[in-house]
Amino acid sequence: MPVAELNPQSAIRNPQSSGEVVVSVRGLTKVFKDFWNRPKARAVDNVDFEVRRGEVFGLLGPNGSGKSTTVKLLLGLLNPTKGHIEVFGHSPRHVPTKSRIGYLPEESYLYRYLNSRETLDFFGNLFHLSKSERDSRAEQLLEMVGLGKTQTRAVGEFSKGMQRRIGLAQALINDPDLVILDEPTAGLDPIGCREVKDLIIALARRGKTVILSSHLLSDVEDVCDRVVIYYGGKIQAAGTLKELLAEPDTLRITTPVLPRETLEKVLAIIRQDISTGEVRVDNPTQNLESYFLDVVNKARAANETSGAQSGARVAEYLRGGVAAKPESEKVLEKLSLPQAAPVVVEAKPAAQSAAPKVDDQKLEALAQASQPTPPPTKPAPEAKPVDLSKADEKLSSLLRNKK
Amino acid sequence: MQRILAIAWLTWKAALRFRLFLVIAVLLILAVVGLPLVIQDDGTAQGFTQIILTYTLSAITALLGISTLWLACGTLARDIEECQIQVVATKPIARWQIWLGKWLGIVLLNAVLLAISGSCVFGLLQWRATKLPAAEQEKLREQVLVARGSAKEKDFSTEIDAATKQILQERLKSTPVTTVDLPEVQKQIREQVKASYQVVQPAYSRAWQIDLGFAKNYLKDKPLQLRVKFNAAQKTASGTYLALWQVGVPESAKLWQTETPMSLAADTFHEFAIPPNLFDTNGVLTVLFVNPNETALLFPLEDGMEVLYPEGGFALNFARGLAIIFCWMALLAALGLAAASFLSFPVAAFFSLAMLVVILSSGTLADAVESGTVVGGNEETGVMGHSGADAVLIPMFKGILAVTRLVENFSPIDALSTGRAITWTELGLAVGQIVLLLGGLVALAGIVLFHRRELATAQGTQ
Repeated sequence: MPVAELNPQSAIRNPQSSGEVVVSVRGLTKVFKDFWNRPKARAVDNVDFEVRRGEVFGLLGPNGSGKSTTVKLLLGLLNPTKGHIEVFGHSPRHVPTKSRIGYLPEESYLYRYLNSRETLDFFGNLFHLSKSERDSRAEQLLEMVGLGKTQTRAVGEFSKGMQRRIGLAQALINDPDLVILDEPTAGLDPIGCREVKDLIIALARRGKTVILSSHLLSDVEDVCDRVVIYYGGKIQAAGTLKELLAEPDTLRITTPVLPRETLEKVLAIIRQDISTGEVRVDNPTQNLESYFLDVVNKARAANETSGAQSGARVAEYLRGGVAAKPESEKVLEKLSLPQAAPVVVEAKPAAQSAAPKVDDQKLEALAQASQPTPPPTKPAPEAKPVDLSKADEKLSSLLRNKK
Repeated sequence: MQRILAIAWLTWKAALRFRLFLVIAVLLILAVVGLPLVIQDDGTAQGFTQIILTYTLSAITALLGISTLWLACGTLARDIEECQIQVVATKPIARWQIWLGKWLGIVLLNAVLLAISGSCVFGLLQWRATKLPAAEQEKLREQVLVARGSAKEKDFSTEIDAATKQILQERLKSTPVTTVDLPEVQKQIREQVKASYQVVQPAYSRAWQIDLGFAKNYLKDKPLQLRVKFNAAQKTASGTYLALWQVGVPESAKLWQTETPMSLAADTFHEFAIPPNLFDTNGVLTVLFVNPNETALLFPLEDGMEVLYPEGGFALNFARGLAIIFCWMALLAALGLAAASFLSFPVAAFFSLAMLVVILSSGTLADAVESGTVVGGNEETGVMGHSGADAVLIPMFKGILAVTRLVENFSPIDALSTGRAITWTELGLAVGQIVLLLGGLVALAGIVLFHRRELATAQGTQ
């Protein structure tokens, strides 16, 4: 399934992004009432936002902040108390418009007595797809979400993760222009999470619009172009991730490992303008998700599993006939291949810097890093001592520098 | 249509996967096969029919009716409560299509179950009939395993009302009163007038002119049957009463008379054959009854005298009878779905069962409407009670009765048990009144409620 590296830069990722407004929300308010029609809870309070074609738009907020209520209002499952919603220029209750929408609810609200194949066939029928089209799409989707070998098992027997996968497949059966995903990674293992995020990016590349509701910051950060942050039913912050997260007075340069002489030259040049205490040089670390994926990919090559399998390629009809670039499809393989660790040179203003100073010993260590860390060939715990010893050594040197 | 059929298919899947279909089918077959084994008939055609046809068809109707209501409430209310509807409703399918799809799924399920159980009843009836004594078999073939048309005397309501009005006015003129309960007086006079049409005094006779209508064209040389019922003013020691009959065109050769008086019991139906070709050229059959007893006999206008004539075969008639039962099921499915459109599952089930009870208790409502009060009256004094609630309840009961009569006017089980024809017209009326009119109104209400309902207020319970 993976087709692209995770990259929040929409301008790079999605050349098809346009100004066409797909979802427009103005003054949206939802007040839940009790049996006697007395206001019980103001779940959404005077919310405004617009989502444009090709965007991955995040609704971010803690539990109970109004994200899911907003999603249900967008889908016409709830009626707004006040305000106006337009989806593709129509009311959320407009039936033909729904043929352009795919929805994954926060829980797997699927029919437990249907198997995964029947589930997709049923939803395909609701989209008026022909038998051959339903069969073809179901085949591709089940392969994509890693349920190709569990087609005849009832959905009620699935684990939560498998239910999320079939839920995701049903949301894509119509090749939707707008995909609304409510907590899409809930219940998924790290591989599943990664695949879902890759899928979202693949969809956005095809000009699809994705609305992602989540309280998981990493999900939103990895894939969203723009976000709104909810709290108490109100939007507390809104904008692109770049706007919200960028530190404009800090710079990071990432390069492959440089020889010590080159590194010294670079630092000498930098020191002409910035004091040594404001410059930080270290090795970027691989995050746990990438490391985990390496381990599992290797294990998968040797073992079978009775549960969901890691998904394959994104369904062909979802790729719109445009094959993804080979290098981006191989992201997991790339992550697992041995390669030179890049060096990060980060310049920080004095006021914010808490980084260690650069000294000769550290430069030596960094210059030696051109010898790559071997990728794990066994389960993670066996690989740990190598990493820990390195970390320990680095920590010791940092502490010595501080003295 | 593809979307509606997809929802119908889903309903089928649920019924099959949850083994509901299997359980109901087994229960129905047990009712059909088990009832005649548990209750032995008395060896007469009448007793045999009562058990094999009346009891089993009633049991099938009751079982299917309750399971239909249950399934209809469950299929929609559970989808809403367990939130699956949130996924379905976000697809390009209108709410009315979801509703109709569910209804279609349930009625198709009913059609299959009814066809299976009906076939069992039919087969059992034919097979068990061969075990009856030859005479009873003959009777069964003549009176039950046929489709007989029915002709009755014309409706005298207009004449009775006119006579009632005239008598009332005459009495008011002759005996002017200032305070009088006019409706009560009018009711009593009407009963008296009606009695004059029904009662045959000792040593008197009563003639019925029964128009066979279009049926006269194909009844040549075919024997007819009279179905009669009477009440007696006084009981006799034997419990039976003598009856002398003359049928045919008066003062002509086309006349048939009982050679010896028949001995008939009161308060029950009797059927006896009369020779063919006794009606006149206009198709009017004249029946004369002479009362040789010492007590008056009363032949009710509604069902005291009826002419039955052969009209068709039993198999098709049986199928039409099942079709009317199917119409009831279609209405119950709509009722259950309408309740589930705005109520949660247990409440919807309770509500729709309560509605069913109201329909079944229409006799009580009719009594209240007839007496004009819900509190009844003193039978000894004949004084009717009154309640403040009458002003509201009686019109409400009238409304309910007007609706329930649209359903109750059809009694396929009675018709099949008595070998009466259920005509295509009757079946068409049943479809029109029960399914299209009443079912349509219930469906409309259900769809409107479902359309307005917010589907995402429930939290998943699965």
